[in-house]
Amino acid sequence: MNYLSTVRAELRKLTSTRMPVGFVIVLVVIGAATAIAVAFGTDMDGSKTFISTAEHQQSLMAFAANALVIAGLFGAIAVAREYGHGTVVLTFLTTPRRPRAVLAQLAAAFVAGSMLGLVGAGVSAGSVAVGLTATDYGFMVSTADLLQVIAASTLAGGAGAVLGAGIGAFVRNTGGAVTGTILLLIILPPLAVQMVSETASWVPNTLADVVSGVDSAVGIGAAITAILLWALVPAAIGLVSVTRRDVV
Amino acid sequence: MEQRSNQKTRPVARSYPISVERVTKSYGDVPAVADLSFVVEPGRVTGFLGPNGAGKSTTMKILLGLASATSGRVTIGGAAYAELPDPAGTVGASVEADAFHPGRSGRNHLRILADATDTPLERVDEVLELVDLNHAASRRAGAYSLGMKQRLGLAAALLCDPPVLVLDEPGNGLDPQGIRTLRNLLRSRAAAGNTVFVSSHLLGEVEQLADDVVVVNQGRLVTQGSLADLRQSASLVRAASADVLRVALEEAGGIVESKQPDTLVVRGLTLDKIGERAFRAGIALHELSRHADSLEDRFFAWTGEAAVGEPQRNTKEYQ
Repeated sequence: MNYLSTVRAELRKLTSTRMPVGFVIVLVVIGAATAIAVAFGTDMDGSKTFISTAEHQQSLMAFAANALVIAGLFGAIAVAREYGHGTVVLTFLTTPRRPRAVLAQLAAAFVAGSMLGLVGAGVSAGSVAVGLTATDYGFMVSTADLLQVIAASTLAGGAGAVLGAGIGAFVRNTGGAVTGTILLLIILPPLAVQMVSETASWVPNTLADVVSGVDSAVGIGAAITAILLWALVPAAIGLVSVTRRDVV
Repeated sequence: MEQRSNQKTRPVARSYPISVERVTKSYGDVPAVADLSFVVEPGRVTGFLGPNGAGKSTTMKILLGLASATSGRVTIGGAAYAELPDPAGTVGASVEADAFHPGRSGRNHLRILADATDTPLERVDEVLELVDLNHAASRRAGAYSLGMKQRLGLAAALLCDPPVLVLDEPGNGLDPQGIRTLRNLLRSRAAAGNTVFVSSHLLGEVEQLADDVVVVNQGRLVTQGSLADLRQSASLVRAASADVLRVALEEAGGIVESKQPDTLVVRGLTLDKIGERAFRAGIALHELSRHADSLEDRFFAWTGEAAVGEPQRNTKEYQ
């Protein structure tokens, strides 16, 4: 028995139910909405300015912020349901050293979240490209920028899933884990910005946009580090709580 | 299932006794298990008995490292579960009857376990066949009956062919054929030197399955030992002057129960002692023999709980 075996088992857990399919369907729906907006949407003045430059198109494609939230919910539901269904017992019977088991869960969540982020970015870029065919504008984003958008979404997806998994391990209840993830990624950041405006550069949305190359509030290295910290702090809390509490 | 479960189980290379040493587990001020000690020997099937809430499941969870003891120690072959070099390969456990994702197939549930334990995936189909679940292996576990879930739990416990089995209420929901198959399977594993520790509240099932029993009530040990010895720890005495004899036997320290006007069931005294006391009292005995209670009778006596319609019985002798 080794760590990679535990990770492999955790990955099989994540892929042996219909949940990933459900999330991919959500990504496809978002992509379809994006394509329709690109094809038929206009600015307030009736123009198509929002797709008229490479920067605008890159902004439309930037999926990292969405990936953070979607993969966050995926990680939260996946881990919290483990406790709800009792399948986590299997994890701790095969890997009774709990930190090791939780790290395997987090690693599997990172991989699965990254895949969601990657698929989300691909669907998003594809949707913009498809939508543009119905307009007078061509696809202007360079390959390098497109790769940055995809890489950013992949990283954000992985980080989001780890964040959600940490919350799921701490809360151990699906409803509570989903609520916690939404609070942390969607509701609390704007409130924090309202209270302390300097935090605006460090909230998940801004950081995701910086990594995607569509914002420059902070340096890209700092943004990557900050996104990982957003994920690792809840993950560490989850790990410590699992180590200290009874499993069932 | 019948055919496979009757196959001879290979002898174990090493034996793993389970030792529970002065274990206490409290939830706040409420003790679930209190100063509990017992040993489960290899090569025997040990039944773990007690009423609901007696602390059986809590003890099993502590044994498997899923819950921590407030004090005390539980070892398997001399080591705590988490310290075993190959925990899942040493102990096969089923502690939650419905610990399955309802949307995951039975086969995938076992494949996850196989992945985690580096067990070849072919073994998954072997154990599914062993528990007669191969026909439903691709179906979602959420659609399984309780009996099928029990079989899947048993398959998970057997996946690594471990020398120790720890099963919490494995007979729940099984049909008579399933119970018989389970019994044959567990007995054959014990016969091969494996340690088999099974909690149950199905007394008839335990009576036919177990060699030894450990009885707990309110978190405390009530009694433990060979089921045959425990059931035969009473003597049946038939005498004309049963009332007079009763007084004499109680003075000698016996615990006496009247079955009929001329018949007593005596505990705590040997046959020799009972005969001597009767002789000294000048009472002619019409019968003096060992008396084997049913496990149900013994259980209610041990736990101090009366069966419906019966008075509470004395349990002092076992405290």
